[in-house]
Amino acid sequence: MAHRYVSITLVALILGLMLVFQFRTANNRIEGVPYDRAHELAVELKNLTRERAGLKAEAEDLEQKLFRARQGYAQAKETLEAEVERAAIVAGLTPVTGTGVRVLVATGAQTPGELFAVRDEDLLKLVNELRAAGAEALSLNGQRLLSTSEIRIAGTFINVNTQKITPPYEILAVGDPVALKSNLEIKGGLVETLRDWRMVVTVESMDRVVVPAYKKALRYEYAKPLKEAA
Amino acid sequence: MWLGIWLAAIGLVLGMVIGFNVPFVFPQAYGKYMGLAVLAALDSVFGGVRASMEGRFDNAIFISGFFSNALLAAGLVFIGDRLAVELYTAAIVAFGVRLFQNLGAIRRHLLKK
Repeated sequence: MAHRYVSITLVALILGLMLVFQFRTANNRIEGVPYDRAHELAVELKNLTRERAGLKAEAEDLEQKLFRARQGYAQAKETLEAEVERAAIVAGLTPVTGTGVRVLVATGAQTPGELFAVRDEDLLKLVNELRAAGAEALSLNGQRLLSTSEIRIAGTFINVNTQKITPPYEILAVGDPVALKSNLEIKGGLVETLRDWRMVVTVESMDRVVVPAYKKALRYEYAKPLKEAA
Repeated sequence: MWLGIWLAAIGLVLGMVIGFNVPFVFPQAYGKYMGLAVLAALDSVFGGVRASMEGRFDNAIFISGFFSNALLAAGLVFIGDRLAVELYTAAIVAFGVRLFQNLGAIRRHLLKK
């Protein structure tokens, strides 16, 4: 009989304990995270993790695109730089070197009183002839000859790029040396004519000719590029 | 028999007092298990009361029933959670029905007297 009462008391005690524990747990909702809420958060976490993975992939993709764009940018820069370099050569703003000829023109000194001194026209004809023979860059006594350069007599001197030059005149031309030389020295050609006029003209083929840059500022006040033509 | 009831009441009150004064609180996640265990325990107690009124109270059956029912109820909740099936409703229904049956038997027994 005693067993019975002990067990009843024990069971009642445990039941009371459980009841109160459950009561306290149930009324403890505010303090802790409710079970459903935890579940909800877990689901949300899963979704966010997936989203994060997606965004990460997207970021990688964009980074790759950016990388490619940067590469394209570098290439464009290279192309532009090459273009600028070429434009500078064409414009005569950079010294150029290459094979070519050196033409020296001097007044014959051995016959004093000779009428024919070297005139601007002679130099112009020489330059013209060299250009016709395919000269890519020209200079006259260190003055780069541009499309705007003048060669004309001013008093007793010849002016090039508004700069006085004195004899002997030295023309440097970059181009095919054989073509340039033969063009000048052709029978009955310009050099022969000049020599007939007692000028001392020497034409040398050169492996390396250095044509200096145009030293003044280029000014284009009136000419504007035509947009439609481009 | 009245001694048993008194002892049960004293035990219940004592357990409640201890429960309220213990600083330990079950984590929320186990609330469901505990609730079902409480339900099962209540069922066992009512069953015990009914058995004693009918004069066929067995101490071993009472004690083993009390614990095994509580454990089974909590276990059902656990398995249900793992399988994503709300198995604990089965426990609630089964123990709830038995609770009312036991209560009815106790009532009838008391009224017959």
